Amino acid sequence: MESVEKKAHTKINRSAKTQHRFFKTMKQQKYLYAMSVPFVLWVLVFNYVPLWGWTMAFQDFKPARSFMEQEWVGLANFTALFQDERFYLVLLNTLAMSIMGLAIGFVVPIIFAVFLNEVRVQTFKRTVQTVSYLPHFVSWVVVAGIVTKVLSTDGGIVNEMLMAAGFVNEPVQFMTKGEWFWMIVTLSDLWKEMGWNSIIFLAAMAGVDPQQYEAAKVDGASRLRQIWHITLPGIRPTILVVLILSIGHLITIGFEKQFLLGNPIVVDYAEVLDLYALNYGIGLGRFSYGTAIGIFNSLVSIVLLFLANGIFKRYTNQSVM
Amino acid sequence: MKTKWRKASAVIMMGTMLTVAGCQSDNAATKEETTGPVTFSLFSADPHSQWDNMESPVSQKVKETTEVTIEPEFDVGGGEQKIPLMIASGEYPDLILPKGNAGKLVDAGALIDLTDLIEEHAPNLKKVYGDYFNRLKWSGEDESIYILPTSRVDHTYWAPGNGFMLQHDVVKQLGYPEIRTVDDFENAIREYKEKNPTIDGQPTIGLSLLADDWRIMISTTNPAFYATGAPDDGEFYIDPETYEATMHYRRPEEKAYFKWLNHMNAEGLLDQESFVQKYDQYLAKISSGRVLGLIDTDWEVGDAQRALREAGKTERMHGMYPVTLTEEYKHPNFQDTGYLGGWGIGITTECEDPVRAIKFLDYLASEEGQILQNWGIEGEHYTIEDGKRVISDEEMNERNNNANYVKNTGIGVLSGFAPLYGDGVTDSTGQTYSIASPDQIINAYTDTEKEVLSNYNVEMWKDLYPQKEEFPVKPWGAAYNMQVEAGTDLELIMQKSLDVVKKRIPEAILADPSEFDDVWDSFMADLESAGVEQAEADYTEMIKDRLELWE
Repeated sequence: MESVEKKAHTKINRSAKTQHRFFKTMKQQKYLYAMSVPFVLWVLVFNYVPLWGWTMAFQDFKPARSFMEQEWVGLANFTALFQDERFYLVLLNTLAMSIMGLAIGFVVPIIFAVFLNEVRVQTFKRTVQTVSYLPHFVSWVVVAGIVTKVLSTDGGIVNEMLMAAGFVNEPVQFMTKGEWFWMIVTLSDLWKEMGWNSIIFLAAMAGVDPQQYEAAKVDGASRLRQIWHITLPGIRPTILVVLILSIGHLITIGFEKQFLLGNPIVVDYAEVLDLYALNYGIGLGRFSYGTAIGIFNSLVSIVLLFLANGIFKRYTNQSVM
Repeated sequence: MKTKWRKASAVIMMGTMLTVAGCQSDNAATKEETTGPVTFSLFSADPHSQWDNMESPVSQKVKETTEVTIEPEFDVGGGEQKIPLMIASGEYPDLILPKGNAGKLVDAGALIDLTDLIEEHAPNLKKVYGDYFNRLKWSGEDESIYILPTSRVDHTYWAPGNGFMLQHDVVKQLGYPEIRTVDDFENAIREYKEKNPTIDGQPTIGLSLLADDWRIMISTTNPAFYATGAPDDGEFYIDPETYEATMHYRRPEEKAYFKWLNHMNAEGLLDQESFVQKYDQYLAKISSGRVLGLIDTDWEVGDAQRALREAGKTERMHGMYPVTLTEEYKHPNFQDTGYLGGWGIGITTECEDPVRAIKFLDYLASEEGQILQNWGIEGEHYTIEDGKRVISDEEMNERNNNANYVKNTGIGVLSGFAPLYGDGVTDSTGQTYSIASPDQIINAYTDTEKEVLSNYNVEMWKDLYPQKEEFPVKPWGAAYNMQVEAGTDLELIMQKSLDVVKKRIPEAILADPSEFDDVWDSFMADLESAGVEQAEADYTEMIKDRLELWE
């Protein structure tokens, strides 16, 4: 009896103590806390307060009515969404293009970074790096114009070269082939973002301890061996973080590329979720419907993120959360 | 520290208010009229290539008189995305030209009723609309005036706006053949293209169409109306007897028209990039002078024609012909619609001073304002001789040939924001408000044009067309400017069918001729499953309502 009481007593005591300690550290670090306040507020205001808008998805929202006057419709908007054939088509397009983008747009920058890292001449390395990330700053409107022009049947350079080399007899109509549209989007994206995406890997490589390379050299490892056993394992944590975060963004790929590169002939391959939400949600003044699509997007993203994170945690013991 | 907190909490408050409130309507009439300079923000769903930042002489003059400065935003997407976003955020410009999206704004309570404002402050606006004032009313249920239509009132058309266009050199080289049916049009293009496989070293293009976003309706689908003798009523054909609406692709005549386009493609006369190119590429291509034929409106290719003219390639500019599918149809370009009403300018609830805004529009619509927008400033752009306004030859030449004339002088820069009289209407001194007169139009022709026209034994392009008097007046105006109510099934079906059209029409035109019928059948089936029959019924209802409202 007594011992139990004593135990309980010490427990209370301890928790009081930890609480005490918490406030003590807080007091000690008050400036640090104060400095973090604006950012916490930022997140609250811009990321959490707008979540209130999700209520729209369960209403038949009309802008002219106040919140109390809105009509609640339950899951009707979601039912309508899941019953629309077009929704599944655009979902397929979205996932196809983002998975292709992830597969290619993730691997190539790593390879590119590795190659660049092996270059000995600093000036050359710097120049290539700068030149390769410049397209990142070009807007999609311009890129789409360039791509359309390059692939044009009317004097486009690709067709000119194919004809000169004798591969084809008449110009190939790249932009009218629906089945090629995903690839065109993926490759244009690769061209635009490859250099930019490789920066983070280059930075990670700069952090690898040079002594490891020296030791490997002494052991007689070739350049390829060094890449395989030192460079790549050295940037593994970076690769994982980037990969997990991109998986979380799989479904939210925006629509600029598809909108600007698309045309009526390839629309069945070009329309993506965000464009669908714009045309059939906001575009028609169906704010509730648009919000329902947004919620669907967010939920899928969260699930994907946790899934990816869980898998990596299990097999590699590394995670972002 | 204290202010910091206040600021932070203000941000939170704002965030909350934005998400919760969405919209609050103020009573416009209670706002007071201000004096002194004022700036109004304005959103227009149409681009304005000649905007002068209100710095040109004419705009400066307007600014001096009204003390109003306009800060505009011109959209390139027809307002289709911007306007719904405005509604979602509840932030509107003071003045807005929403084109087809006014219904959404009215539905959101964003536009103020202008009836009383016009009654009290805008005698000129009232005068300009005259007998058509009834046509401004919104609907049978809501007789408010939200939009002041900006199309020209009592306009006499001296130039065709729609038609099949051929380079002058084509008809010239072929000895001015009759261009009356699509077969004539096709033969002319084929013959010329065979003789001239390249122009300026680049391959000749037979016929180029445009399908960039909404423009697919202008260059690809609307001409199907005209070519089959029906006036453009948007996506619906309105039976003049019964007022029944039919989605126009469902008319058998139009299938024949699209079959002809399919045939053009099979013959290699259609530009391979027709449905891929963007608007700027289309214009650039025409401006290069190697596109022989176009099926379009004057305003869509206007920039390219001006560019050709400036480059001195007058024989590469295009003439407009009243081509129809067969001779049994008459090209209805000049059919009278009465005053159209519809698209125009509205004042939003955000506007601090609606009285000043309406007075500004009223000034533009006044005799002084209209002369300013049409003729310019006296002594600078025109002179008065014997009580008549006269434009010198030099100035006229500049007006016709300088592509930036509007921007430099400001003449006409603001004319799209208020209702003005159309061509042929006369002012208090008996002279026309606009400078356009048949003589002025003929004077503006290039020598090449005059030569072509004289060989067809006419004076003006208009003379090639069936005249206004040959058609009955359409009592419903034009159906394309009817506002579809936001959030209705009709709106959803329209969007769905438009998506079907955008996909299936290019598919049908590019299909192998043997497969055309199959593609067309699936096109029809798609329209039906999108709910087109219900849309037709709803539209018929709307036409009948409009007729009642306008009586």
